[in-house]
Amino acid sequence: MIAAGQTLLVLPAGIPWVLAAVLALLDGRRRWVGLLAAAGLGASFASLVWLAFVVVREGPVEVVAGGWPEGVGISLRADPLGVTFALVSVGVVLVSLLYEIILGTRWRAFPPLVLLVAAGLNGLFLTGDAFNFYVFFEISMTASFILTSYREKDYQVRAAFIFAVVNLLGSVIFLIGIASLYSVTGSLDMQTIAERTDVLEPRSVIVIGATIFAAFFLKLGLFPFHFWLPEVYVGAHAPVAAILSGALANIGSYGLLRFGGGLLPRELEIGSVAVLVLGTASIIYGALQAISRHDTSEVMAYSSIGQVGYILLAVGLGGPVGYTAAVLYSVVNSLNKGVVFLAAGLRGQLVGGAFAVGAFSIAGVPPTAGFVGKIAIFKAAIASNSLPASLALLALVFLGGALSFLYSFQVYQRRFMKPTQGDPGKASPLAARVLVVALAALVVLLGLWPEPLVYLSEEAAAVLSGGSG
Amino acid sequence: MILSAALAVSVVFASGTFLLLQRDLVRVVVGIVLISNSAVLFIISAGLTRGAVPIYPLKGAGSVSDPLVQAMALTALVIGFGVAALLLAMVYRLYTAHRTVDTEEIADAEIREAETLERVGDPEREEVPEDEQDAGWQDRTQASERPAR
Repeated sequence: MIAAGQTLLVLPAGIPWVLAAVLALLDGRRRWVGLLAAAGLGASFASLVWLAFVVVREGPVEVVAGGWPEGVGISLRADPLGVTFALVSVGVVLVSLLYEIILGTRWRAFPPLVLLVAAGLNGLFLTGDAFNFYVFFEISMTASFILTSYREKDYQVRAAFIFAVVNLLGSVIFLIGIASLYSVTGSLDMQTIAERTDVLEPRSVIVIGATIFAAFFLKLGLFPFHFWLPEVYVGAHAPVAAILSGALANIGSYGLLRFGGGLLPRELEIGSVAVLVLGTASIIYGALQAISRHDTSEVMAYSSIGQVGYILLAVGLGGPVGYTAAVLYSVVNSLNKGVVFLAAGLRGQLVGGAFAVGAFSIAGVPPTAGFVGKIAIFKAAIASNSLPASLALLALVFLGGALSFLYSFQVYQRRFMKPTQGDPGKASPLAARVLVVALAALVVLLGLWPEPLVYLSEEAAAVLSGGSG
Repeated sequence: MILSAALAVSVVFASGTFLLLQRDLVRVVVGIVLISNSAVLFIISAGLTRGAVPIYPLKGAGSVSDPLVQAMALTALVIGFGVAALLLAMVYRLYTAHRTVDTEEIADAEIREAETLERVGDPEREEVPEDEQDAGWQDRTQASERPAR
């Protein structure tokens, strides 16, 4: 069983990686090439589901590359936290790929690039090595830089350039953080780093923590680091925007949880006030900007800034409850953003309904999954130690919810309820609409029956607060 | 030694940041290259230890210098190199479309194009995919012809 688990660990990143190398030689505009890519990604997703079962039942799976002894070789490690993030990210990427195949791929490199994004994401979620994390992170980021320029309209290339430059800066800062961690602890293995930072004086590590957190804030597009995000999300094509905000943004929240909660818990605690302030600023700034915008994708871009604020709030609150809320909210937010961005690119019947589900899930209206996410944040806020702090946080979450309800409804009204002038345009293919509706149905289903998601999030949070913390 | 390494890293990083803030896109790319190289320098200086060459079989009984930083630096260099090539390709793509690498001039050109599009009255073209199923190539050829116009 252990051997089977170890093989399983290589599959989620291995399948899309190899397939991407093969498909790069073929013309991705052909339908069968696209479908082959989707099949590979589906296999990767299936192996992740299996891996998730193994991990939840039997505990973390670990394999050290090249048969080196543990602590010397580069290790791959699957625990509930990584598997949860990998599942939701690959799910969103898979739906986005299928969506683009149905609408007709217009770029030969599209399917292999999407596969590379998925391979990089799986790799970084399932690695136990800090430098390996950086390498996989660069694989998926570089592929997404190119994806942003998909269709090669001038403004898309410019958006991709901005995206690439800003995120490279973030990567360099992150790399400097990793190098300093190595220099301080003498190891790149995440578990060893966690053990050794525990005995170090927190003040000596706080600067390292700050550089690493800053890199992830940039990646998430939090308030003072958000300046690149609207232009990129608005410029990107619908499925690419869904991949960016539904899958790639998870790197930021996962990184915060893994490096903040797992590797540098005491430094995160010292900086928790700053984290909470940044989260608050993001929620309010994102919501207010979203209300003032008109274009659907622009509203949703600013909404992303606000939504990651909630994740940050949960991370800043910390503890098992806070981390559970952060994981849960990241998963829900990915699904919401996937639904909304994909639905915004379509027209015809059913699309409005799917968009409404996504938009109201962002606002946290029951019975959508967003409601479960908001409840988790509530719980985390109530669990906070001081009464004024938890009251202030509760008020903030209410205010943020009300504001997001406002912009969600505004954008829905503008996009789907206004009478169409003249030619309403052709309806999108039925298959694409059904796909988006299915994703929306999943959002409702997770809202009605949230136990599996809550269980998985709690398991994931237990990794941080119990295992290596 | 530590001081000189720190000085080198900071000077390279600062010049990279200066270039990054320029309006010329080529300078921005050079800035990014410099900044990523400052990170490489930082990695190397983070592992500056005196010792024997870490090649097996080991000579002498003393401590061995750290080989891992070299591997990390090499990986970071390769990634930086690849991404720099990608960025230059994007700049070239923008250059063929607008005949300039100045951010503000490109933005102006884009606003002008958006205005012409509005006058033609076809803003919805983006959202009707069936009409341009195979337009990828056409788009590209149009784009490369545009400057000649």
